[in-house]
Amino acid sequence: MNDLPLVNITINGRPVQARAGQTVFEAAAAAGIHIPALCYHPRLKPEGACRICLVEIEKQRSLQPSCTFPVAEGMVVRTDTPAVITSRKASLHMIFSERTHYCMFCPASGTGETTDCELQKLGYEHGLDCWTYAPNYKKQWPVDASREFFVMDHGRCILCRRCVRACEDIAANHTLGLNQRGARAMISADDDVPFGESTCVSCGTCLQVCPTGALHDRQSVYLGHESQIKRTPATCVGCAVGCGIHAITRDNHLLRVEGDWDAPNGGLLCSAGRFEVVEPKPARILQPQVRRDGRLVETSWDDALALIGTRFSEAHLVAGVASPRLTSESLAAFECFFHDVLESSEIALLSGEVPPLDLGTMASLRDVANADCIAVIGGNPLQNQKVLGHLVRRALDNGARLIIVNDETTGIDDWAELQLELEDISFHAASPFERLKTTYHLRVSGMLELKKAIAPAQRPVLLYGSGLSSSVYAALRTLPTQARFLPLVKGANAVGAARLGIEARPVRGDALYVLLGDDPSHGQPLPQSDFTVIHAAVRSAWTDAADVVLPSPTWAEQRGHVVNLEGRRLPVVPLLQAPASVPAYGQTFVKLAERMGQTLLPESLVHLAGPE
Amino acid sequence: MPNKPTVASDWLAGCAGCHMSLLDIDERIVTLLEQVSLHATPITDLKHPPESGVDVGILEGCVNNSTGEHVARQMRARCKVLVALGDCAVFGGVPTLRNGVSCREALRRAYIETESTAEGRVPNDPELAVMQDARALDQVVPVDVHLPGCPPSADTIFFALTELAAGRKPALTGKHLDWH
Repeated sequence: MNDLPLVNITINGRPVQARAGQTVFEAAAAAGIHIPALCYHPRLKPEGACRICLVEIEKQRSLQPSCTFPVAEGMVVRTDTPAVITSRKASLHMIFSERTHYCMFCPASGTGETTDCELQKLGYEHGLDCWTYAPNYKKQWPVDASREFFVMDHGRCILCRRCVRACEDIAANHTLGLNQRGARAMISADDDVPFGESTCVSCGTCLQVCPTGALHDRQSVYLGHESQIKRTPATCVGCAVGCGIHAITRDNHLLRVEGDWDAPNGGLLCSAGRFEVVEPKPARILQPQVRRDGRLVETSWDDALALIGTRFSEAHLVAGVASPRLTSESLAAFECFFHDVLESSEIALLSGEVPPLDLGTMASLRDVANADCIAVIGGNPLQNQKVLGHLVRRALDNGARLIIVNDETTGIDDWAELQLELEDISFHAASPFERLKTTYHLRVSGMLELKKAIAPAQRPVLLYGSGLSSSVYAALRTLPTQARFLPLVKGANAVGAARLGIEARPVRGDALYVLLGDDPSHGQPLPQSDFTVIHAAVRSAWTDAADVVLPSPTWAEQRGHVVNLEGRRLPVVPLLQAPASVPAYGQTFVKLAERMGQTLLPESLVHLAGPE
Repeated sequence: MPNKPTVASDWLAGCAGCHMSLLDIDERIVTLLEQVSLHATPITDLKHPPESGVDVGILEGCVNNSTGEHVARQMRARCKVLVALGDCAVFGGVPTLRNGVSCREALRRAYIETESTAEGRVPNDPELAVMQDARALDQVVPVDVHLPGCPPSADTIFFALTELAAGRKPALTGKHLDWH
């Protein structure tokens, strides 16, 4: 963009330099001249639907939408003439009268200072104290509440199509569209089915761009205006993509999560990262529990730690299992506690798969959306790294070619120009308690086909999973130098854990310490041991089966870093204050070491985790 | 001051909240009464605007039956400046929620079908008002000044009335324009 030639234009009598290809709206914004608009959104392709941004342009026979009108040398623009203001007010009156914009019933409604509704704000700014055209109250506009996490009230929709464009341009999911025309136009999903029965994946991008209260979030609705909440940039620890989020909190409650527009995920989140993390966790564990006479009973920290200290001292070998959603700092402290105090190296991740990270130049998430050829080899990003999956779909929309090498079907197979099948050459272990080590292989003929398909690409990106045969990884290392690699890691901080030498593998010991946090244990059976300590935030089948349960912070209460699948070290900031009875992991390890007659210096716990 | 502007008010299909907000101007009512002469209101003994007319007529609530329409037309005929006070008068407000069903259906639901009703019937005494679809005041008679808000704040009402007393049409901006 910056290489494009400069053009000189005049806005409101002021000379302004703009870049060729910019719209009048963008040139004005860059010069600090505000033009009101409703359908315009800085992250979406402009469409000129709302007619609020109309301006006077000399030598044009009528007012023109500034959001779609490109600048040209010598252009003279006026944004504040009586004709412009009159037209803008007329558009506002028509938008207000089209549906039932009863502000008093709407969660977005507020005063001129507090409103979250862009339509109401413009109404106030333009002094609208009544509506010229009476709305048609006889028409009942439908409310679609068929989706689990957010609701569409068509009565508050202004047909700006921001949601449609977000679904197309950002999520690349193509669910939303406009049905009918004119006064009958309605936002609809697929072939006009309820949103909950459509191809919608509830990523919530449409919710994030809606200018009115038409789309609203069930969990945070009516709980606070933008002016009343706190917005903290943070990192999602749901999976290894490590999306940038804005956590919206108020009075130590998490109300809502939004995608960070400036992070590589570009505002996009998945349903789990945006909505499921906010769901209330009623079964929060707040006090340590110990098993007495077969029943778990609440007790003091001192009591619980004394019991753990005694049993761990008596144990022949203590094994440790940690959630991959914990920070590198927590994992490093856990590791330090095991090596220094328990003198055990039986420590592993609960789950998580990290393929080799040295195949070549690593790709970034931004490289994926800009790729001209994408090969998915042994993985399912649309299921396990959802936002990455949608970035792949966006690249396909932009014309990228797709190659799929897999052993299972994935949601993007239909777009593949080449599909190769992986062979299962696994050695299946005999013991059911041993993890199955599966290995998938692609024969040389397939490898050659893959290489041939990638060869013409300028910006190829290879997304590859774990569990491929060593000869496949070796062959991938020989690809041309323009190829970029992105590992399909499972487990939010599995890469951070791998850097600490902690991986998912079977562990053995007569005592077991599980650092679970608020990670659901995914229905896996609890590993067998004589004495089990579960350090968890919420009650689960695993805590019910434990000998000692220690309360842990949740994802939103921890501080530290995680390393995502690109290898970027991302900050995890505390969004909420943990209850007084729930200390950070490190404190527990230090106290437990004391109980066992040893000293663990708090500063030694994090030295493994990397620089601040 | 012999020639103080005269004011009358009434309410239609509203909740009286806008008149409560009017009373919320508190001791400023003394200042106001130095500038205007208050005639009939629904909260004073005199209920109907004098036939001789007033300078400013204020109506709260929307029009949703024949009596409301009569009151609105009478006030319009008897005042020089008509003020629509509050969201119901300005936009139609809460009562318009029932416009999605017909009046006949709404009456049947209310008087016959409600779960707590046994052997109900729709009242049909000829003295009763006839139900209509709920409409904003300016859908029935021309309105000169709109004061939206649910309710408009006491400050907004005081501002608007003192402006009218001074012979100006109040222009609502900033905190006075607030219909949320």
